[in-house]
Amino acid sequence: MSLRSFLLSSPLFVGVFLFQEAFITQMRLPAGGFNLLLIVALIWAALSTPEIGALTGFGAGIGMDLSQTSPGPLGHWTLVMIIACYAVAFLGYGDDNIRGNPINIVFLTTVGVVGSQAVFLLLGLMLGQQIGSIGNIIFVLAGSAFWTAIISPLILKVVSYLHSNIFGTRSAL
Amino acid sequence: MRYGGDNRGRLLIIVLLVTTLFLITLDLRGVQVIDGLRTGTQTALTPVQKFGSWVVSPFRNFLSDVTHLGRTHNQLEKLKAENEKLRLTLQNREVADAQLKQLKSVLDLAGTAGYKVVNAKVISQGSSTSFTQTITIDAGTSSGIHTNMTVLSGYGLVGVVKLAYADSSLVQLASDPAFRIGARIAGTQQIGILSGQGTRKGVLQLLDNTTTVHKGDAILARGSDNGRPFVPGVPIGEVTGVDNSPGAVTQTADVKFYSNFSTLGVVAVVVSDTAADPRDALVPPKPHPTPIPTVTVYATPGAVSPSPTATK
Repeated sequence: MSLRSFLLSSPLFVGVFLFQEAFITQMRLPAGGFNLLLIVALIWAALSTPEIGALTGFGAGIGMDLSQTSPGPLGHWTLVMIIACYAVAFLGYGDDNIRGNPINIVFLTTVGVVGSQAVFLLLGLMLGQQIGSIGNIIFVLAGSAFWTAIISPLILKVVSYLHSNIFGTRSAL
Repeated sequence: MRYGGDNRGRLLIIVLLVTTLFLITLDLRGVQVIDGLRTGTQTALTPVQKFGSWVVSPFRNFLSDVTHLGRTHNQLEKLKAENEKLRLTLQNREVADAQLKQLKSVLDLAGTAGYKVVNAKVISQGSSTSFTQTITIDAGTSSGIHTNMTVLSGYGLVGVVKLAYADSSLVQLASDPAFRIGARIAGTQQIGILSGQGTRKGVLQLLDNTTTVHKGDAILARGSDNGRPFVPGVPIGEVTGVDNSPGAVTQTADVKFYSNFSTLGVVAVVVSDTAADPRDALVPPKPHPTPIPTVTVYATPGAVSPSPTATK
């Protein structure tokens, strides 16, 4: 990823982070709500190469770690996001059946959100954090999957447009 | 074509992973710079969150009522716009009234116990995607709030101040899975440890297995040294179920918190507690059923008009 692309994509993620912290956390949505930064980062990764995916995960993860609601040490979400974004980018890279189909990207993002939260939970357990009841975990994971499946199709077009402009690719979803 | 990767790409990923592990290690070792990063971010975010709260709170209530139906006349549109404006004003008033009601009840509770409190508005509710239960309030160290202070609502315990910034504070809710508090049963004075479960119900683990706990028992905070993190006597919740497994080492009970964490608008932070323990003075009174008057009509054959008799 060129320095220009990196600099251009940074304000987008900072903006999403601010929007998440200032507005989405106010909504008090049912079923635990959603994390817009997580969804945008995974869609971004799904449209990118694995290296860019990992770098995107690193940037988004730092943002999520800086959020006051993050319970773990700084780097907890970053590690999860690097792995999740790399995996999503790796699965989609070079396969037009996945990358060219919005439904597949939505599916990949939804699985990525649930998967990254599960990995976050496992890492948290290893670091000695409390995770609550199994029922609550299942409820939050199901809620995240539900909200991601609703939100990601709504923002996919915009994210795809911005991605194609920043990285100079010829087509957008 | 499947991705095979190259040396440069692998090197980048290794560098990112090593950097992340380095950050985790530094944070777990308590390096000041890392703590400062989060504090700085929160200080910078507080005005944005306050703005977000100001923008979202009227719309959160109002937008659900707005429907777009059919084509309308210009005059009708004008009247609708005026009506919406009035409804928005009314809803703002209702929001203010609800906050005033919450503030009154929390002041009543704090006043009964003799706590010195600082009131604050809830400006953000933490996302539960990280499996935590937190809220952010609009008062911080500049208002005398510090970490490990008890937070109350009009109904009882809300949580504890986890982080205090200049103009805002992060409150760990009692429902958070990592939340633990020493509690006692009102009346019997038996003690135990109550822990959050991520929902509105907590689990009370009694320290003495011979203790008997009953459904409906009120649970109060036992209090900490110098009232931090918990002041004594704060109502926490009510026992809704008891686990009486014969082989269990300790007895456990399900406790429903008095506070409804999803509707918190105004809370109070106890900045200094009372010299004396309020004991059971803050236990909410049990609701008394109101007698419903019934009317019985006796019809007597041959009578001119039946006279209704009111009985209780």
